[in-house]
Amino acid sequence: MNERDEALKELLKYAAGGPADRELKRDLWPKMLRRLERPAVRVPWWDWALGAALFLCLLLFPDTIPAVLYQL
Amino acid sequence: MTGTVQMELEQFTKGDIQAFETLFRGYQGEVYGWIIRIVRDPGAAEDLTIETFWRIYRARARFDPRRPFGAWARRIATNLALEHLSRRRSETPLDDGVLMRSPATRKPDPATGADVRAKVAAAFGELPVKLRAAATLAMIEEAPYAEIADALGISINGVKSRVFRAVRLLRSNLEKRGVCP
Repeated sequence: MNERDEALKELLKYAAGGPADRELKRDLWPKMLRRLERPAVRVPWWDWALGAALFLCLLLFPDTIPAVLYQL
Repeated sequence: MTGTVQMELEQFTKGDIQAFETLFRGYQGEVYGWIIRIVRDPGAAEDLTIETFWRIYRARARFDPRRPFGAWARRIATNLALEHLSRRRSETPLDDGVLMRSPATRKPDPATGADVRAKVAAAFGELPVKLRAAATLAMIEEAPYAEIADALGISINGVKSRVFRAVRLLRSNLEKRGVCP
């Protein structure tokens, strides 16, 4: 790095308030446990069916693609 | 890698929650410390640490226990932090960017006022996320290039190139705002 880059680096560090405080202040395991207990987001079967029907429809009637895109 | 750690990792890949807890407690500080260096927001860094371990837990079956766990975790954490920066960029105005949320404090330099600070933050916020992350880690956090390269999944030359492009772009953004460092 040349002098100009060093000056920019100093300015950047000043604007950022220096390096971040990297110390973790609390144990995150209880929060992790809650996250593990939360059920994963599942896509209901009828959403898949609807998607498949739409795909089939577009495949059979490609002229409808602009109309579908317009609705999005 | 010691035999105990190896055994712990093997248990973890089989879905043993106690092994996962041991890993979590052993690595949460390291993962958080890495994420906060990129996102510079303690609240977001905590959430992203949880999300990192959630993804690790879900992908446990694909993990090879002979590989270093820390490097794997850091790679996932980095990707999540970059995603977070991209999302935040589209949600918040540039002036409220990464730099202005810094948790650290430093005595203001009388030669550089709040106005300049805001301009630097805005100019920095305009950088593409990948360049911003590389510049944050290299220039503000002064992390070694090898460490950054490993976490970003690119070569050391790749990191140097990103930092170089970030500096050039940042300088141009600052000049547009009347700041010439």
